[in-house]
Parts: sequence; C-alpha cells; structure tokens
Amino acid sequence: MPVYSVSRRRSIAILALTSLLLMTLDLQGNSIVGGVRRLFGAIFEPVQGSVRVVTRPIENAWNGITNYGELEAENQRLQDQLDQQEGSFIAALATVRDAQELLALNGIDNLADISSVTAQVIGDSASNFSQTVEINQGSKRGLRVGMPVVNAAGLVGKITWVEENRAIVLLANDVLFGAPVQVVNQAEVVPPTTSTTTTSSTTTTSSTTTTTSTTTIPVTGTTLFGTVTSTLVASPTTVDLSGIDFDRLSTTTIGTIVTIAPGSTSAGPSTTIDINNLSAAETGIFRGRGLDAAPIVEFIDQNSRFGEVRVGALIFTSGGSSSLAPRGIVIGRVIKIVERTGTSGAVLEVRLSARLQSLNFVRVLLYQPVATAIP
Amino acid sequence: MINLLNRPVTRLFLVGLLLLAVQTTLLTEMKFFGIIAQLLLALSITTGLVGGSESGALAGFVLGLMFDLVLTSPLGLSALVYACAGWGAGYFHSRTLANPKWLDCLVTGILSGVATFALAVVANVIGVEGWLSGRIIKVIIVVACVNAFSAFVFIPISRWCLAIRREQRISPPAELFL
Repeated sequence: MPVYSVSRRRSIAILALTSLLLMTLDLQGNSIVGGVRRLFGAIFEPVQGSVRVVTRPIENAWNGITNYGELEAENQRLQDQLDQQEGSFIAALATVRDAQELLALNGIDNLADISSVTAQVIGDSASNFSQTVEINQGSKRGLRVGMPVVNAAGLVGKITWVEENRAIVLLANDVLFGAPVQVVNQAEVVPPTTSTTTTSSTTTTSSTTTTTSTTTIPVTGTTLFGTVTSTLVASPTTVDLSGIDFDRLSTTTIGTIVTIAPGSTSAGPSTTIDINNLSAAETGIFRGRGLDAAPIVEFIDQNSRFGEVRVGALIFTSGGSSSLAPRGIVIGRVIKIVERTGTSGAVLEVRLSARLQSLNFVRVLLYQPVATAIP
Repeated sequence: MINLLNRPVTRLFLVGLLLLAVQTTLLTEMKFFGIIAQLLLALSITTGLVGGSESGALAGFVLGLMFDLVLTSPLGLSALVYACAGWGAGYFHSRTLANPKWLDCLVTGILSGVATFALAVVANVIGVEGWLSGRIIKVIIVVACVNAFSAFVFIPISRWCLAIRREQRISPPAELFL
C-alpha cells in the first residue's frame, strides 16, 4: 500500500536524519523539545489515566499471583529488622536533635528546615534501560525539575519532568544521575583510657584522699549518654563503665562530641568539641550505573587528614550553592574500593540506603539551590 | 471525520497511544523475569511485515517518537531504532513469497532482539553510558521471545491500522516486482 510518494531510500534517510536532529536538539536542552514533550504529555495523560483505572485489577491479580511468597518473606524480614532498630532509633533521635542544635548555632541549613511534599509512586519506567518512577504530585504542589526526592532511608532521586499533577523521578541508580557528595569514614571504637587525678583535703580529725577518675572515650562521631565517675576513699582506682552503651557507639555516626564527666557529681555532663578529632570528609561525585551495577563515587579529593577511605564509609550529599540537593541527605555506604593508577584516584562502589526496587511513598524536598532559585 | 479516522496514520497513532498507555501502566507491573515487554517495537515490526518497508519505517518512527516523549532518554533515539526495525521487517517481507505465521513471529523476535541491542549501542554512541552491560543479554532474550509471541496478535492489528484488505493481503507484494 503506497503511503509515500517519495522513494523508499529517501524516506528512510529523511526519518533517520530527523531522528538525529531531534536527538541533537534534545541533548542540547532545546526548549522546543520541552514544549513538544509537554504537549504530548497533556494529550497522553488522560489516556494513561483511563488505562490505569481499567488495568489496575489485572495488575493487582498479577502481583497477587507472582509476589505473594516474596511479600510474605519480606514482611517477616522487615518485622525482624524493625525489632532490631527500635532501640537504636531512640538514640538516633537524640543525636539528630543535638546535630540540629549545632547546625542552627552555626547558621547552617539542615534538612528539617526544608518543606516537603509526600507523593505516592504510581508507575515505573516503561523502558528496560531508564531507571525512573512516576509520582502523583506535580507543579500544582510546588514541584520543580531538579528537586531531590527522598524516603525514610535516604536519597531516592531527583525530579526530571513535571506536569500539573504528576512528575517523573530519575532514580539515583540511573546512568544519567549525578550529585556532589561527601564521604565520611565511620567512627572507630577505641577502648576507653582512664586518667587519674588525686586531691587531698585535711580536717582536724581525719585525712581523706579522694580520687576522681575521668574517662575519656576517643570515639569520633559519637555522643555519649552517661557520665563516668568514681569516688573512692583510699582505695585503688576503679572505673564504672555501666553508664555507657558501647553497642550504640558503632551505630551513631554524625558529629564529633566527646563527653567528659566532671570530677564532681553536682553538674551534668559537659560537652566539648575537639576540632582535631572531627571526622574529616572527602568530596566526590556520585554517579548511577544502571540496574546491574552498583553506583559509584569518583573524583575524590585527596585530603591527608582524611586518610584512607574505608569500606563502610558513609556517603551524604554535600550541598552547596549549585548542588540540586541540600547537604546531609544519606545516600548509602561504601561497599568496595577500586584503586586506579595515575591521578584519577580511587572509585568507591556504593550500596544505596533506599531500596529503589520497592518504592511506595516518597518525599519531595521543595529545595532549590541558591544559584537556580526562583525569587 | 470518518475519513480522517480511516487514514492509516491516524489509526496507527490511536493504536500506538493505547499501547503506550498499556506499556506505561500495566506492563511496568507485569514484568517477565524483571524485563518489560516492548509492545511499540513489536507493532513497528509487524507493520513493516504486513505493509512493506516504507510503512514499517514510518510506523516505527511515529511509535518510537511517542515512546521517547514519555521517557527520560533522548528524544529521537527510539524513533531512529524503531524506524530501522520497521524498515528491516518490510525489507524481509519484500524478499519472501509467502509469509507463514511462524515465520512472521520468528522475524519479529529476531528483529526485536537486534533493535534492543541497537538501542543500547546508539545510546552509548550519543553519550548515554551504562545501557551496554551484562543485563542487556537478558533484556534481548526476553524482549525477543515476548515480541515473537505477541506477533500473533499484532499482525492483524497492523493490517487494520494500514487498512489492508484481504484481497490485497493474499496477493504478492508490489515490491516483489520492483
């Protein structure tokens, strides 16, 4: 059936050239391409919505058949995880409060100050290569392209396309995703050391020697809840460490606060920050690598104070005036360090904190960097 | 209005829109071994098989462009690859005297696999890295198998889109005499 009057070879050449032209325009960020996408989105949205309503029962039936066993096992695993985390959650809350106070004292923005919109994930990518999800909130609720998307575990991705009532989120493991990050080595738990000072006081009837032991625990990145004191009368020094929960030390990671108990018991624990013991942070660029490869952090600055990056080091967004994400969003942990020769430095493979394969609700931070913020 | 709706391009666009909606809703949940079936690619190829290389290329371009418009990948990438796949299917069609159903399915499967690989290669060429990985083998196999089976359904749909009547269908293709 003749659809074209032009020759066969010419038609395929024209189509190929048109495709190449469109790709070039799109990669250069041409506004016409954006307009065409927006127009098509307006036509397509009602069709997609109708089809979604019709196919929802089929989807549910399919999920019920194929995922039942998996969901049951996951539910059991999550229950166990919840029990384990209940204790550390309380400690984390106190630490977060301390950190926020410190940030506020120093005039540094923190995540608690940023408004957010909760959205539900309503669709995955239709492609086998792009890692995106669709959410049910859009420009009507203040969403803009570039805003970071998080869930309770950490960074999920960023907004790449916004319509009135929906938006597309580019997931953090997509090959097109990139963000400046900080790498912070986890605190090492060192056994406590004890220093002893002795003071004497004399009365008319007796002489008493009081020994006060102050225990300093050189743990970086940890707030200790409890004081360590012992008052002995003419006896060898003993230290009561029952006030410290060492299990908690390994899970607390932010800040460098060493609590030193005073010699007397009248006042509460005093808090001092030793600048020299603060955790050094390296900066680098985080990049997704698709579904079957772990995301990486590369172009890490060489900082002698930071030393070697260790497996288990934490990855946070670094923020900054031009970064699309504010400082301090948890991304994940280093699981592998790949050394490279020359000046290119090591590449860190990262395990993301957020489980991107099973997203349901996410939070869009209504954050725009100073460089691009609309007044 | 009726005349407009009966035009092949209009029919193709409407069917494509419906399939795109199914692909972006139902098929993102109904994955086969974690891989999403590519219905628009299957329709492009079957259109080439029933309508010839020009129709296949045009259908592939339009359907690929529609797919690109809802993805975050560069606009024109799927359009280029799908147009080539549709053209290839039409070229194959012009070289055969008879097209039994099993052969159409086989060709749809093979071309789907080749197009999926080509998509990743072209993406890599234009700077979208990461698509060419070990996972692509699984993607190619699953997409090829699913599209091969879906050809049974899509060949009649393609005939309807191109308004090919029975007498035209059973006669040898015009391209045979060129």
